[in-house]
Amino acid sequence: MSHCGGAQIVVRQGKRPWQYFTDALWDYNVALVQMLALCPALAVTTSATNGLGMGLATTLVLIISNAIISSLRHVISPEVRNPLMIGIIAGVVTLIDMAMNAWTHELYQVLGLFIALIVTNCAVLGRAEAFCLKHPVLPSILDGAGSGIGFTWVLVLIGGIREILGSGTLFAQASSLLGVHFQWLELTVLPGFQGILLAILPPGAFIALGFLLAGKRVLDRRRAERRIKTHGELVVLP
Amino acid sequence: MTPDQPACGPFAHDRSTVNRLMLHVCLALLPASLFGLYLFGWPAINLWLLTCAAALLSEAVCLHLLGQPLRRLLDGSALLTGWLLALSLPPWAPWWVGVGGSVFAIGIGKQLYGGIGQNLFNPAMLARVALLIAFPLQMTSWALPHPLGAAGTPDFLDGLRITFAGAAPLDGMSGATALGNLKTQLTLQRSASDILASDFRLLPSLLGYSGGSLGETSTLLLLLGGLWLLALRIVHWEIPLAMLLAVLLPAALAQQIDPLRYPGALYHLSSGGLLLGALFIATDPVTSPVSRVGRLIFGGGCGLLVYLIRTWGNFPEAVAFAVLFMNALSPLIDRTCRPRAYGRNPRGKPLVAASWTRRAKEVDKV
Amino acid sequence: MNSEQTDLPVPPEREAEASRLARWRSRVAYQGLSLGLVCALVALALLLGDHFTRDAIASRQQEDQLATLRQVLPARLYDNDPLAEAFRLQDAELGEVEVYPARRGGELVAVALRVGTLGYGGPIVQLIALDNQGRILGVRVLSHKETPGLADKIEAAKSDWITRFAGLSLGNPPLAGWAVQKDGGQFDQFAGATITPRAVVKGILRALQLHARHAGKLAGQPEEVQP
Repeated sequence: MSHCGGAQIVVRQGKRPWQYFTDALWDYNVALVQMLALCPALAVTTSATNGLGMGLATTLVLIISNAIISSLRHVISPEVRNPLMIGIIAGVVTLIDMAMNAWTHELYQVLGLFIALIVTNCAVLGRAEAFCLKHPVLPSILDGAGSGIGFTWVLVLIGGIREILGSGTLFAQASSLLGVHFQWLELTVLPGFQGILLAILPPGAFIALGFLLAGKRVLDRRRAERRIKTHGELVVLP
Repeated sequence: MTPDQPACGPFAHDRSTVNRLMLHVCLALLPASLFGLYLFGWPAINLWLLTCAAALLSEAVCLHLLGQPLRRLLDGSALLTGWLLALSLPPWAPWWVGVGGSVFAIGIGKQLYGGIGQNLFNPAMLARVALLIAFPLQMTSWALPHPLGAAGTPDFLDGLRITFAGAAPLDGMSGATALGNLKTQLTLQRSASDILASDFRLLPSLLGYSGGSLGETSTLLLLLGGLWLLALRIVHWEIPLAMLLAVLLPAALAQQIDPLRYPGALYHLSSGGLLLGALFIATDPVTSPVSRVGRLIFGGGCGLLVYLIRTWGNFPEAVAFAVLFMNALSPLIDRTCRPRAYGRNPRGKPLVAASWTRRAKEVDKV
Repeated sequence: MNSEQTDLPVPPEREAEASRLARWRSRVAYQGLSLGLVCALVALALLLGDHFTRDAIASRQQEDQLATLRQVLPARLYDNDPLAEAFRLQDAELGEVEVYPARRGGELVAVALRVGTLGYGGPIVQLIALDNQGRILGVRVLSHKETPGLADKIEAAKSDWITRFAGLSLGNPPLAGWAVQKDGGQFDQFAGATITPRAVVKGILRALQLHARHAGKLAGQPEEVQP
């Protein structure tokens, strides 16, 4: 334990199973903290619907690949772990791609382009390498679900910001992704708005991500300062 | 001098401060700006005032947020950024184009990088490109010249309506720039010499009686201001000269080879923002290289890019793109073309004279 | 991060097994074999997946193509399967062009041509249906990479612009009218985007000219054209 500006620095000890899930949502967020998977996060998020679809598909891949790789962790030798893991991930992604194409074709027409890209998503390989090789199956599945949902909310947020600024709508065409029951999600936030084209184009993605990163840091700092003021301690994650 | 005091070189000060620099550039811009405001009337005056005011206001807000003293506002750099941005906008653009551009230029183009002296890209050009990409419609509707006081010119109220209410200019009040017109006509299988003969007049174009951005039309007045800055040594000659030559030489050469497809050097010189860019924008000391060779490379690169994009690119005008592209390269240019330190050769080895002196000293000791 | 070991303590009887596994894992043969085995298993899974989904995917894609074709070719016009009878036409100017013939009672009533032109952001692929007189039955953009929000009004889902071509032909409007207004033609460009509609108009004009060049060949003897 040490001191920092009068506050006691406490390293959080131990971990409950559900914390594997909750930590990945915010404190270890794949996109905002680990800075992984930025390629899909930037390329796909021209609308909130696209972000949601990509996020959900990635979550599914993360859960399945985490479970498989974690259950094989004793058998995998470190020297060949990368080709092995990439092979498994690519297989899972391709199977999901084929299954969606065959049986949920409506959804596939919206997401089809992005599914194959998940193979190259660093977050999937990153979680396999950093987590699944060292943890049993259940925490790996929880971590996969948490990372995936953490990734999803970031994608939906970036997509939402870009969509509102770029075309004045929110969750346009959500019903083709989620079904007709979700038509109420499709909002026209700014009617008659021509849109700032820059937000839809690639630079808009970088600018939105930059402001999101800065915003998260500001929130984190405020939270820590409030805790120092009330409890006189600064909790640090292991 | 005790060893723990820092050594201080015998530097001479030429009384140049950021404040003086910026003020002189603004003064040099004044003739061309006044002419532009006269030429495009009340909507242009509104736009210019709004853009400059928004730049100053965003600078003040950013300084406040960063906890820096507000007196930095007085150094004139924000005013110059807003001014340059206004001069590069279509003169009858709606108010939010100018204000949004200023907020982008100061907030994202300058203060996010760390404020004055830290920005990688020229803030005014960054904002101009962002606006062009974000609002292609508004950024490519050009008003034809309507000098103040002439018949059929929007009066003060009309000007407010155009700037703030987005009233569409009447038919015959807008048109294409010379560069845009050439680009369109060339796709209709007409020859360049034919198009220029019917649509392009050199003298009005040099004087500035042509469509275009607010402050870029008058080649001669811009040249006047630029020469004054050159005479004061506020702007170094390398970048403008290299940039202009890199546009004019390929243009002249291409015209010699095929006059039916390529317009000549004078056309390129007198149209678009080439002179504004070469004299006032590319020469920004923050975003251009330091050494003489570096500045020559920088200017040459800007000019060549302008010519390439104007001739074969998708956009009719390219000064902003070219300057931004070379801005990105200028740290690299600075790395490769380091100026020679005093008493050393370009590789950093002491000069012969210095080593001779050392030897002489050793001889003395003996 | 997450570095603490959370594996359960290993019971003693499995410890020997674990250490043997650890020794094996460092051998090259084990590594190669495990890699090969995993690849084989993944390949097997993919083969199985392909086997179970192949027919469904093929019929979905067929439906997709048919749905696009229906948009340009009214279903009441023909009774054959244009997709199955698709062939490639050799043309001196455009190279190979994919043609979907629509027949009624064995007689050709219309063709759908797949034509690509270069737009602002990349190739624009269009499907253009023409009847025997060379009149346009319908046009749809199959794929494009144009700027979203600005030039994507060429999609039927975004704007009805693309439907305005129906009923036109090579002589109506005359050749000079087959251009966007900015170039002196009769079709509007979009605000802020000229290159995209220009490319679309050019593609349609090319298809019309191609049809005129090969009209006899297309309408005459269908057997003569090699599939």
